[in-house]
Amino acid sequence: MLTDNNKIFHRKKILTIFLVCTGIFLALFVRLVYLCIWEAEHYAAQATQLHERERSIKAARGRILDRNGTVLADNRTVCTISVIHNQLEDPEEVIAVLSRELELSEDYVRKRVEKYSSMERIKSNVDKELGDKIREYDLAGVKVDEDYKRYYPYDELASKVLGFTGGDNQGIIGLEVIYDEYLQGEPGQILTVTDARGIEVEAAGERRLEPVSGLDLCISLDRNIQAYATQLAEQALATKEADSVSILVMNPQNGEIYACVNVPEFDLNNPFELPEGTPENLSEEEQQNILNGLWRNGCINDTYEPGSTFKIITAAAGLEAGVVTLESNFSCPGFIMVDDRRIHCHKRAGHGSQDFTHTMMNSCNPALITVGLRLGVDGYYNYFEKFGLKKMTGVDLPGEAGTIMHKKEDMGNVELATVAFGQSFQITPIQLLTTVSSIINGGRRITPHLGVQTVDAQGNVAERFTYPVSTDIVSQETSSKMRGILEMVVQEGSGANGKVEGFRIGGKTATSQTLPRGSGRYIASFIGFAPADDPQVIAIAIVNNPQGVYYGSQVAAPIVRQLYENILPYLGIQ
Amino acid sequence: MRAKTRRKKKEQSEYFFDYSLLFIVLFLLGFGLVMIYSASSYEAFQTYEDTTYYMKKQLTAIVIGMVLMILVANIPYHFWERFALLGYLVSMALIPLVKIPGLGVESHGAYRWIKIPGLGLNLQPAEVAKLCLILFLAVMVCKIGKNVRTMKGFLLMILLPLPVVAEVYLITRNLSSAIIIMGISVLMVFVASPDYKKFVIMGILVAIAAVLVVVLAVSSTQNAAEGEEVNFRFGRIATWLDPESDATGTGFQTLQGLYAIGSGGVWGKGLGQSMQKLNFLPEAQNDMIFSIICEELGLFGAVAVLIMFVMLLWRMMVIANNAPDLFGAMLVVGVMGHIAIQAILNIAVVTNSIPNTGISLPFISYGGSSVMFLLIEIGLVLSVARRIQLKEL
Repeated sequence: MLTDNNKIFHRKKILTIFLVCTGIFLALFVRLVYLCIWEAEHYAAQATQLHERERSIKAARGRILDRNGTVLADNRTVCTISVIHNQLEDPEEVIAVLSRELELSEDYVRKRVEKYSSMERIKSNVDKELGDKIREYDLAGVKVDEDYKRYYPYDELASKVLGFTGGDNQGIIGLEVIYDEYLQGEPGQILTVTDARGIEVEAAGERRLEPVSGLDLCISLDRNIQAYATQLAEQALATKEADSVSILVMNPQNGEIYACVNVPEFDLNNPFELPEGTPENLSEEEQQNILNGLWRNGCINDTYEPGSTFKIITAAAGLEAGVVTLESNFSCPGFIMVDDRRIHCHKRAGHGSQDFTHTMMNSCNPALITVGLRLGVDGYYNYFEKFGLKKMTGVDLPGEAGTIMHKKEDMGNVELATVAFGQSFQITPIQLLTTVSSIINGGRRITPHLGVQTVDAQGNVAERFTYPVSTDIVSQETSSKMRGILEMVVQEGSGANGKVEGFRIGGKTATSQTLPRGSGRYIASFIGFAPADDPQVIAIAIVNNPQGVYYGSQVAAPIVRQLYENILPYLGIQ
Repeated sequence: MRAKTRRKKKEQSEYFFDYSLLFIVLFLLGFGLVMIYSASSYEAFQTYEDTTYYMKKQLTAIVIGMVLMILVANIPYHFWERFALLGYLVSMALIPLVKIPGLGVESHGAYRWIKIPGLGLNLQPAEVAKLCLILFLAVMVCKIGKNVRTMKGFLLMILLPLPVVAEVYLITRNLSSAIIIMGISVLMVFVASPDYKKFVIMGILVAIAAVLVVVLAVSSTQNAAEGEEVNFRFGRIATWLDPESDATGTGFQTLQGLYAIGSGGVWGKGLGQSMQKLNFLPEAQNDMIFSIICEELGLFGAVAVLIMFVMLLWRMMVIANNAPDLFGAMLVVGVMGHIAIQAILNIAVVTNSIPNTGISLPFISYGGSSVMFLLIEIGLVLSVARRIQLKEL
């Protein structure tokens, strides 16, 4: 029995223990409150991150529509096959089925199936039918996710303009690259709750963050014009056995490109297919070089010596500076001496005495050289820059090539003379077309472009694109005189093959020998616009290395004529 | 006839049976079973294809424990007095058995269990030692009587448990059990001795030592060159201070526990809704069960558990204070100390209030031998309670 005296101190001691323990429990309670309330968000967020595995859902890429709403680039539903390592029950069967159905090597599939990762992609861009078939096997650990694949309904049409996309929905060339951010959209996510081994917790369900579809891109290209131009270019390529044929059709008033053809084109649905006749057993690098060549857009990526079509620029500069008038008289003996160099006219016999309009109609080299010399190196160079020839056009396609031009300080009279009739420097076809447009449209340098606007899924315009225009490149008067001269070139001069019954056409031909001179390789080209007094459409046709007759007037002008015979009525131009 | 019944009634009410204590223990056991099922069913299915594997084993242990508890509660506690020294020696002898191949059971790289042949149950000698030491010290306190007030008596009482503590720590590498056994002993001596000063000084010394260890641990982990092995206890102290510094190593379990507690918030995710139990949190049904309680039942569930433990301690305090003799009081104090220390340390570990060390939560955590011995201890307390004469109150 406890004595009363003892009992008191024992009781006090026991009470002390109890109170101290209660105090500690209270402290632990405070600690819990801190963890459950103040720190809860921090730890809960980390826990959620730990518990969820994400799978991305491809966003539908925006379509590309031509000016009439025809779909040029679309999406097709395809499947992506992946495996989730932790959910595999019968890896051998999975390897067997996947390698058989997907026509992949067993090693390739095995490597991916046996790799320890949360999710491994086996193959993407699998046809929906095949994807459904694999889904029907109902293999544990195999995921079939539907997504979209780019599909081009017209295969080769405008291939170098539209471009194509890669496996990750990213643009690789063409408009698909430039407008990638609009077309791409926002990929969504499927968040699946899993346990620590990666096995899905079925009761927890999925959390979906819906993808946002990309915006549709409306471009100025006209499918019909593009198709017809392509047909003409292919014809010329075949009959003239040329290396390549390019045709650009544009609205000279606002820079909208109606057609941009570079034959041979390639199949957008099989962009990695090597052209027929390619030798086999090429190295990867050689194959890629061939493909890069195939994908080049000659109108924009390549420069050339424009030749006589460039006389339009020389003439406009001369008129604008006042060093010549329409009444100025020139005498052509068949050559001209520049410093100590004799430069021949293409007509060795000479054109004799002629007024300024006739020098252009005859495409007389000595006369235009005279105009250039009157301007002088400084004057000519000033106009070259003022017309915007030193800058890029700013067209909304990737890889535009810059102008290759003499440095001003290196330019003597001989160089000046050659530049005046379009030789010894290089520009792109789009640059030439743009510059000529600004000379004939009243002096406004427009920006050539394809992108017009983006449209959302509901059909509302999301963004209208505007392009810079610089004014007063040349005066209205000069512009009007140039239109008159160029109309005469087609009506009665060297460009007569570009004439279209019932329409007023202005234009200029060119036949330029490619470097090195004397190789017998020529580039035949023709620039033509209509109607001559109020240009609504301008086109350039360039035939690279035609066999047989190689004159621009014989080879290139008929192409533009045939084009105009069809598209002028189509465009409603009188 | 009438007189007889009255006398019988009187006789019945003369002695006391603590139903509140029993109810609290039953509640904790039932709650523990539910939580063990919730925390372990997923893993149990993965490992044994039986969601109730752990729960059933625990239920078996509880049933055996309850039988033992009723048995012990009905035996007058003085009966055990004669076995005190024997118990002390047996528990000392049992501990080294874990090292004998075939008998010792290895888990997580430590030998802490002995296989009992035929029963399929594992016995933790440290649990036996706790029970036997409570009994032995209670007997010793009565034996030396007033001598406990002298320095010699005090030192004797402190030195008696040390061989067992040393064995538990050195042989089974079980620091937490060693701390618990030492803590129980100190608490019993504290109650037996009227002195406060010695214990306050002891407390201060322990606190200083703890701070020194922490400082030493931090500096040694900071100075340790890349790749150099740091003492694993030091490593645990470093991760205690910043569990995210070693989120995949020593801090992993702590951090996973904190994720569970944090994501439970105030109201919890609901019973059975824990995510962390899906293989994320190691030992979810065992040492870390309190964090699953927090995740599923929130702060309120956790507070309910804390309150149940405080009430349990309160009931035991009442019994100890009213025990018919010093021996009974000391037995109850020992059991009270055992449960209090273990519950406090477990919750402190789970909430990362102290460095991580493996301690189970009394009555709730999965663990057969632990719950059996706890129930035997409760049986002792009930036996003491039954000897309380109501007229004395």
